Amino acid sequence: MDVECEVPAAAAAAVTNGLGGGEASAAPAPLSAEQLDVEAYAAQYLGRTRLPRLLFIAQRCGVESIELEALRMAHDEARIREDTLLYRDAAQRIDGRLGPRYRYDQAWVDAVNRRAEQRKEKLETELNGHKAHLIKESIRMGYNDIGDFYYGHGHLSEAFKSYIRTRDYCTTSKHVVQMCMHVILVSIQLGQFAHVTNYVSKAEQTPDELDPIVIAKLRAAAGLAYLETKKYKLAARKFLETGPELGSNYSEVIAPQDVAVYGALCALASFDRSDLKSKVVDNINFRNFLELVPEVRELVNDFYSSRYGSCLEHLEKLKSNLLLDIHLHEHLETLYKDIRHKAIIQYTLPFISVDLNTMADAFKTSVSMLEKELAALITENKINARIDSHNKILYARHADQRNATFQRALQTGSEFERDVKAMLLRANLMKHDFNQRSLSGQRKM
Amino acid sequence: MESVETLVAHIQALSGSPEDLAQLHGLLKQADGDALRAHSAALLPLLPQLHPAAHSLGYLFLLDAFLSAPANLKAHAGGDLLATVANFLVSCSAEQIRLSPDKFLNVCKVLKSEAMQLNAPIRGIAPLRAAVRKVQPSSEHLTPLHAEYLTLCLLAKQYKAGLSVLEDDIFEVDQPKDLFLYCYYGGMIYIGLKKFRKALELLHNAVTAPMASLNAITIEAYKKYVLVSLIQNGQVPSFPKYASSTAQRNLKNHAQIYVDLSTCYGNGSYSELETFIQSNTEKFETDNNLGLVKQVLSSMYKRNIQRLTQTYLTLSLEDIASSVQLNTPKEAEMHVLRMIEDGEIHATINQKDGMVSFHEDPEQYKSSEMVEHIDSSIQRLMALSKKLTSIDENISCDHAFLMKSGRERGRGFDYDDFDSVPHKYF
Amino acid sequence: MDLSTVNAALAAKSYPDLAPICDDLFLQVASQGAATDGWPYAVHLLAHLYLNDLNSARFLWKTVPQEVKDAHPELAAVWKIGQCLWNRDYAGVYTSAQGFEWGPEIADFVAAFIESYRKRIFELLTSAYSTISVADVSHFMGMSEEDATNYAVQNGWSLDAAAKMLTVTKQKPQTNQKLDASKLQRLTECVFHLEH
Repeated sequence: MDVECEVPAAAAAAVTNGLGGGEASAAPAPLSAEQLDVEAYAAQYLGRTRLPRLLFIAQRCGVESIELEALRMAHDEARIREDTLLYRDAAQRIDGRLGPRYRYDQAWVDAVNRRAEQRKEKLETELNGHKAHLIKESIRMGYNDIGDFYYGHGHLSEAFKSYIRTRDYCTTSKHVVQMCMHVILVSIQLGQFAHVTNYVSKAEQTPDELDPIVIAKLRAAAGLAYLETKKYKLAARKFLETGPELGSNYSEVIAPQDVAVYGALCALASFDRSDLKSKVVDNINFRNFLELVPEVRELVNDFYSSRYGSCLEHLEKLKSNLLLDIHLHEHLETLYKDIRHKAIIQYTLPFISVDLNTMADAFKTSVSMLEKELAALITENKINARIDSHNKILYARHADQRNATFQRALQTGSEFERDVKAMLLRANLMKHDFNQRSLSGQRKM
Repeated sequence: MESVETLVAHIQALSGSPEDLAQLHGLLKQADGDALRAHSAALLPLLPQLHPAAHSLGYLFLLDAFLSAPANLKAHAGGDLLATVANFLVSCSAEQIRLSPDKFLNVCKVLKSEAMQLNAPIRGIAPLRAAVRKVQPSSEHLTPLHAEYLTLCLLAKQYKAGLSVLEDDIFEVDQPKDLFLYCYYGGMIYIGLKKFRKALELLHNAVTAPMASLNAITIEAYKKYVLVSLIQNGQVPSFPKYASSTAQRNLKNHAQIYVDLSTCYGNGSYSELETFIQSNTEKFETDNNLGLVKQVLSSMYKRNIQRLTQTYLTLSLEDIASSVQLNTPKEAEMHVLRMIEDGEIHATINQKDGMVSFHEDPEQYKSSEMVEHIDSSIQRLMALSKKLTSIDENISCDHAFLMKSGRERGRGFDYDDFDSVPHKYF
Repeated sequence: MDLSTVNAALAAKSYPDLAPICDDLFLQVASQGAATDGWPYAVHLLAHLYLNDLNSARFLWKTVPQEVKDAHPELAAVWKIGQCLWNRDYAGVYTSAQGFEWGPEIADFVAAFIESYRKRIFELLTSAYSTISVADVSHFMGMSEEDATNYAVQNGWSLDAAAKMLTVTKQKPQTNQKLDASKLQRLTECVFHLEH
């Protein structure tokens, strides 16, 4: 045990008592699911991403008014974008609840599809013309146009294929980067994050210096890919490295608010205290993002200043909204659990004894629940302490160096003895085998 | 060709000095063929003229010739023949019988099979125990008799008697099959006596011994190894890298249900494990492992309580009961008491508050008994390391080894190579 | 069958030695092919119980022929004690021991067994409990509540008469820390070994 731990129990109590104040006034009341402003939410994003996001909210929110609002916007959006697939999805889910204007319009769909078919034929003819003339740049543009066309109509796999084909016709670094950005965009929407990671590094490896906005976009995309593959620490690093140039430039993929939320949660769940300080709290770059979401900024500060109760309360308030996020929802429980464990571990770290009642207050939980959480963490060797369940106190464990050394020495000795004996035995068997072969079975006793 | 009577006279005359014995051995070998076989039935009445201790070599030849004829065995089945053989094995001279170990082994095997035939395996135990000692050049040698002896101990339920040969460290092995059987039966003896740590050592040796192809003994040993590992340590270690690739590749496939059992054990749920065992009872029963499997199940309570001692300083009996899936606090109290009695945890029960306090190991490593214990460990390890050094030196001088290692270095054997062979590695 | 060594050990009350004596003699007798019907199974079994060697006791019981079991109720009575020990039926041990008219050659041995068992259980209670109810002590010790209380108080425990609860006083184990000169010699050898 090092000196740091010899803080008297009274000090422990003082620290925990200090937690109570200022929680109620700490943050503006965040939105709950009922209060979600779908329009404001959708306004953060541009382009096709709005459609799946709105449909996701409609599916998950569980409040009919919000569901219909989201569906209505998705419906309108799909009509404007002429995305017949998602239009159909939205219209079917509205199911007449928004009046005749929002009924499924087969005639419109047919008209759009017909027009699209003509446009596609035209584009393909053009492309074939370019191919016949072997003009590289024109072929590239042709494929790009077809890709854009498919993407516009929501045919993502076809778009992906067309964008990939431009690769053979890229002549400059800029072309390569453009190809990569297209592929990344489509892959994110397809949910194929292995491609995202791949093409991010491909873009970063181009020899020419990249535009800061492009760099920021690549960082954010890489962060998303790591988040989706559950590599939270790496995800945190990428989001924290995302430059402020990102702004609203990438809102067809991610809003700057998202960078703040994703980055902060991943960092809290996976960083140790010193990393948290140097890479998050003292990170001026990232502070710009945090300012966009004051609740998250507050909860990061709370965590770092050991106001765990307040931090967890903020998290709880944000939860219902974050569960409606198309990228975060799957990871939220894990991240929340990790953050909570981190908080519990850090809380106990400096003390030789901790009153469980005080601690349960600080974590807004009951003593018996806290006891279970602590027991699980002790079993996983994450906290070196033991629980006095009778007096409801957690005691740091003092390893007796002398006894431990004796114990280990004796154990090592007996293991060594066992292993050497077994080894000698095996060596003899091998010798036997060898003798058998060379002496061909002459038996000696 | 001499008559049998003359031979008896020779035996009586030539059982003294080593020179005489060598001469006698020659005579006996000459006679061993047709002469003795032809008159084998008449040999038994002659034996009382010889003294089993003084004329051991001659006695052995006559006895062996007599026992080798199945007709003789049939004629004397159930009689005093077994007692005669037993008496010879106990009182014969080790020096003399070692001149003809094959015959001696044969006599021992007849004794064992006759005892089994009479359904009285216990009759062979004392004589075979004596026989093992006599035929062994040193206590480090494994003889083919070891396995025979252990089989009798198991069949006669004389488990403790088995310990007398199991407590020696075995290093020298002539036949791998002897070792596999020795480890398997030895493991079973230790399991019967609930000395699981020792059982594991033996079963481990059977499982990890070098082998070119899988044998049935190893498979059965592995099944027991899995079960005993769970009882003793709560988990099954993966194969060490020195285990033969045959074992590593194939054993698990032949014991799938045991592998599944250990996976289920890892989840730590008593009821889940109980269900698993119930649905596979028949398979465990055919393997004769059901008793051991049931011990695996009950070790689950123990293990879960032990886990609590790592987490809690005090815990109520009620919480103990609920976290290890026992029905009442009283049951939990009895389990804790039982574990204290068996030295498996350090704890005190406070009935007034219904609490249990868990303690660290109270051993302070200060008592003179502990010093004695540590000292004896050091002595043993020093002896072992000396042995290791000498074996290393022997191997370094071994012609075959040098040839092989010289070849592998891509050039011929060279006296300079002696320098590069390390004399010590610790 | 020469049982003189067994009888001598019984007469000298050297009960801990009985089990190995019996084990050895039993194997010898068996190897001679002599009938084991007259073998003192009850003494042999109790000798294992006396050493708390329940495994050996169990294996011995399994090998006793059924006719012998039927013919010797005393043997069955000893095994009943063994079963209680095996099942950790603490109170059952006393009642089984007291519930049988033991023959003169074994009665003393049974009494000695109960005495040593009671002592062992009291040591167990001392190490396993900090407080324990009078009723439980009486149960574990096979005594009336009053006798059990007296026994415990004599051994330094204290009684809370109102709650009928005994508080256990633990004796500091005496540890011998003296070392003789030979240990120093051993240490020297050890260091020598490490350096060479």
